[in-house]
Amino acid sequence: MFSQLFDSALLDSAVRAMIPILLAALGGMICERAGVFQIALEGMMLAGAFAAVGGSYLGESWVLGVVFGIVAGVGISLLLAFGTVSRRGDAIVLGIAINLFAFGITGFLLPQIFGVRGVFQHARIDGLDRLAIPGLSEIPVIGPVLFTNTVTAYAAFLLVPGLWFFLFRTPIGLRLRGVGERPVAAETLGVSPTKYRYWAVIASGALSGLAGAQLALGNVVQFAENMSSGRGWVAVVAVMLGRAHPVGVLGASVLFAFAEALGFRLQGNGLPVQVTDALPFVVTLIALVVARKRFARLLDLTTAAG
Amino acid sequence: MAEFVDRLDLKRRLAAAASSPVVFSIFFAFALGVVIVAVTGGDPWNAYGEMFTGAVAGSGLRNTLARAIPIIGMALAVSVAFRSGVINLGGEGQMVFGGLAGTVVAIYTPGPGFLVVPLALIAGAVAGAFWALLPALGQTRLRLPILITSLLLNYVARAITGYLVRFPLADVSVTLATTKQVPETARMPKMPIFGGVSLSLVLVVLLVAVAAVVYRRSVVGYETRMAGLNGRFARYGGIDVERQTVGVMAVAGAIGGAVGTHLIIGDALRFIEGELVLGGLAWTGLLVSLLAANRPVLILLAGLLFSGLQIGGLGMQRNANVSWRLAQVLQAVVIIAVASRLTVWRGKRREAADVEAEVTAEAAHVGEV
Repeated sequence: MFSQLFDSALLDSAVRAMIPILLAALGGMICERAGVFQIALEGMMLAGAFAAVGGSYLGESWVLGVVFGIVAGVGISLLLAFGTVSRRGDAIVLGIAINLFAFGITGFLLPQIFGVRGVFQHARIDGLDRLAIPGLSEIPVIGPVLFTNTVTAYAAFLLVPGLWFFLFRTPIGLRLRGVGERPVAAETLGVSPTKYRYWAVIASGALSGLAGAQLALGNVVQFAENMSSGRGWVAVVAVMLGRAHPVGVLGASVLFAFAEALGFRLQGNGLPVQVTDALPFVVTLIALVVARKRFARLLDLTTAAG
Repeated sequence: MAEFVDRLDLKRRLAAAASSPVVFSIFFAFALGVVIVAVTGGDPWNAYGEMFTGAVAGSGLRNTLARAIPIIGMALAVSVAFRSGVINLGGEGQMVFGGLAGTVVAIYTPGPGFLVVPLALIAGAVAGAFWALLPALGQTRLRLPILITSLLLNYVARAITGYLVRFPLADVSVTLATTKQVPETARMPKMPIFGGVSLSLVLVVLLVAVAAVVYRRSVVGYETRMAGLNGRFARYGGIDVERQTVGVMAVAGAIGGAVGTHLIIGDALRFIEGELVLGGLAWTGLLVSLLAANRPVLILLAGLLFSGLQIGGLGMQRNANVSWRLAQVLQAVVIIAVASRLTVWRGKRREAADVEAEVTAEAAHVGEV
């Protein structure tokens, strides 16, 4: 039974499920560090997925798709940055509204541009190529799973140590964290919180857009309405559980991705799709309960803000 | 008469309303809509014309009123929580979970309609309240933020109800995953106005009235508002904020569950898997409550506006070939603009807090004018 459930195919689908969550969560982590409450990951991911499919269709190349995905994510993130940073609007209200905006605009553009409803598939849409890394890809089991992968996957892998180094070993990373923890002190020292927060939100937009590209051009090759289906919210939880630390965020993303992959597998073994669909969210909730001591700050933020 | 008009100070109020961020944001959204439609190859003026016609002409008015019922209901549910500082994003799950419970009672309880229909609404409310209590107790007992848990539970509620209507409760005579049809006796009656509007409209208007009184004139209303404005101050003043959180979540969930029940026994008549969440009613309700700054009477107006947008959008889709989803875009843009405090330029001297106080004060004026 167990050997049937856990094999390299499961590992492969877990890695694929992990990449969008991890990319979005790393973006959320940067925002959290800069003191911006970021719950628009879901919408930016969805917009990224739509634009990635659009770009790939237009240029018949996944490269253009990835570029479009990033641009869309950044574009939407600017709305949030303008509202919360420049206009000091409520981050929760703006985050929710932006998610709904992304849901609405992708649902609107799908029939208006491509003339279809629900799902858009086309031979012109070019999926992400899986590029083998010479040497590493020949390692048994993990080689084909980890090192024969898409550019978005490699970006995700490299960003975990990369962002750790950036946040904890570079002056800019230190200032970014300073802006998040002591904005007034940072400002006194000549570090502009506005500037850092703008860049943090833009970075999260780019990463969520990339996550969307992986979702629509890597995991499948199509755009389906509302295809982010809660992954952006799971990423928000991954930031909380991982305490906004790259390694913690990676750990949480791996956990949720395995739940998703296991759900798919169990579906193949005859479990109803309704049960397996709920699995990642149930696992997420259980993880929250288990690790509940960790996020008092967010609770204060969301209850006192009102 | 002239004196009376003077006292109303209409000129000042109209000026205030016109420069209000809310009114400006609505105009801004419609203006952006023109650009969006034009860029995607449509004729914006024709589209807006069809949208307006679709919302009010023919059966449009009836449909607008019908769709306003759940939107206003869900907006009230959101306002109960939001004004108390409880960020409940689980309206959808509470609506769906309660909706199925109410449907089951309506289908399987024998008896006359005047007993079964209220019983179904109560069952839906109880189930919705139960579903809302999970994140509420999660926050008060385990310190898990309601914002996150209530949202994640939406997906779980979707899955559970989907499973139930596909297997144990399934109507095997049809291919869809759905419950049986609600029997004729257990349906919400329709009133003979505008060609048949569900009696639920009266219930929802009553609910608005109750909310307006409770929010403004009762001790509970005052205490919850204080907690929403400043939790620490409320606690210092002797309010049990934890108990209050559980209470407002239960009420919010109960309203959501009753709305879900109405959607089946007053409209769809079958609980089809995934159908209740398709139109995004719970989220529209949330945006309505935000636009109305949680004020019940304004929720009534904003709910009618957004309902009209959506029903009109369907007309626009039929006759101008522009997707009705433009309505959802416009709704979201309105809230983004309001939250970003977009307004006509009035000089820099106003502090942000000042402007915020005005948003609510002027929103009230809009309602009275």
